[in-house]
Amino acid sequence: MERELMVTGVGGQGVQLAAQVIARAATLENRHVMLFGVYAGAMRGMNTDAAVVVGDTPITTPPVLPATWSAILMHDKFASGALAKLRPNAVVLRNDSVCEGVIDREAFQVVDLGATEIAIGLGSEMVASMVMTGAYTALTGLVTLECVIEAMGQSIPSYRRQHIAANEVAIRKGFESVEQLAAPAWELSKVNQ
Amino acid sequence: MTSAILENPIPKTGRRLMEGSEAIAEAAVVAGCRFFAGYPMTPFTEVLEHMATKLPPVGGVCINAESELEAVGMAWGAAATGFRTATGSTGQGLSLMQESFAEMALARLPVVIFNMSRGQSDYFQSTRGGGHGDYRHIVLAPQDIAEAAEFTQLAFHLADKWLNPVLVYGDYLIAHTQEAVEIAPLNFGELPDKDWAVDGTGSGTGHSKMVSSLGFSKFGQAGPGIEGSFQLAAVHTAEMQAAEQRVEMGYTDDAETIIAAFGTAAKFVKYVVAELRSQGEKIGYIRPISLWPFPYEALADASLGCKRVGVFEINAGQMIDDIRLGVLGRAPVSGIGGVSTDSSGFGVGRLLDATVVRERILAFHNDTPLPEVPR
Repeated sequence: MERELMVTGVGGQGVQLAAQVIARAATLENRHVMLFGVYAGAMRGMNTDAAVVVGDTPITTPPVLPATWSAILMHDKFASGALAKLRPNAVVLRNDSVCEGVIDREAFQVVDLGATEIAIGLGSEMVASMVMTGAYTALTGLVTLECVIEAMGQSIPSYRRQHIAANEVAIRKGFESVEQLAAPAWELSKVNQ
Repeated sequence: MTSAILENPIPKTGRRLMEGSEAIAEAAVVAGCRFFAGYPMTPFTEVLEHMATKLPPVGGVCINAESELEAVGMAWGAAATGFRTATGSTGQGLSLMQESFAEMALARLPVVIFNMSRGQSDYFQSTRGGGHGDYRHIVLAPQDIAEAAEFTQLAFHLADKWLNPVLVYGDYLIAHTQEAVEIAPLNFGELPDKDWAVDGTGSGTGHSKMVSSLGFSKFGQAGPGIEGSFQLAAVHTAEMQAAEQRVEMGYTDDAETIIAAFGTAAKFVKYVVAELRSQGEKIGYIRPISLWPFPYEALADASLGCKRVGVFEINAGQMIDDIRLGVLGRAPVSGIGGVSTDSSGFGVGRLLDATVVRERILAFHNDTPLPEVPR
């Protein structure tokens, strides 16, 4: 079984970092993982998307996803591509601090979280994507919390390591902010395998 | 129970998440590569950067040369000493290297070449070669990161086995997709000693070795001469052609339609064909893994009895020539791919999308007009 995640947002929100952290966490758990990031030529303000696929056997899904089991919407300004690929009943974690678009809540499992507001409350708007990463982890159990935190530490470059502690606080805050395993990625009886 | 499920201790694993460029570089070092020279050019640049990081700690040398022309010259010199050597670029940069590739092939030197291409439009360059004379490269086309790492190690083995350049055909997707991979050393079998290597041990003895593309020898020593040297090269090219064909096929036994694709495009085709097969469509695929030597016989066998062969490649039609040679009239052959890239010209265009690929394969299978290539 392969589970897909598309992360979308605006450059500067930490979309690529969030995807990297989740992909690395799945790698730490010895799963098969693929990650492909796409972004425009500007570091701020333009489109940024990442696709993550996690499975128990070698990934057959191509890097440009045909469809996705889940999505994290850091912002919906450039989300049309991801939204068009949502599978029926897909899990959508939506940063409703900034997302304004309408989404079909009958067709998909939509969970709203004011990640940007939470991040500002924690002292830095910059950690919003880590709030969402923690929330996604709790919501789906695609990866474990401990692996996410370890993966975050491994994903931060040497010149940004002063942010690791704040990122961990944000991950844990996001984790506590949603209902755990409300939309499990794996069969619960097999989560520990 | 819920928190226990979600807070498992971290298990040990040999896999690491890395982009294809790093996996290739790591695989090259694991294979024993100790010299690399190149020049930055998207999407090859990261291969050079990772080699620059990984080679010095193992006693290797990586040089960012002044241009691709200098880089291949440096690789030529290093290869002649017997060290496992590699270079690379994208198609435009490899264009500058063609003369040297020809000379290295005719001189029977092992070297591994990485083409991190922009799309699939370097098929002709890779398989026909842009240099002079009778020579061919072995060309391996990985479909994903795991294969890119495996084929990198295989490339060094084949280069040493045949004393011939071997090219690994990557692209933007190979370079920048990340996968969880474990790069363990692979053993492909015994190799002969490199007693031909110009390693300095013969200096001043009057019996020093010579590496030459023209069959030259030292004064007083017998050598094959130019004609003999070129004839030997032709013989060993034929031997490589017979021995090193690699192909993957699926669902071809009763297929009415066969889709041919190589490299990363093949990953999309395979995904779509598997899906269509599960829905009862009699469609199969063939994926040449060695672009040279091309698996003509396997293609001939697979296409016997099918109604049509479609070639999905991201270019104006290059591998289709080899597909036609293999099919040899058993079924009509048509191109169902096209030119497609992103706004930068480096990356992934709209044709590489499983939904689009599915539409084109189904239209071809049902003998209906192909949709326009999306822009």
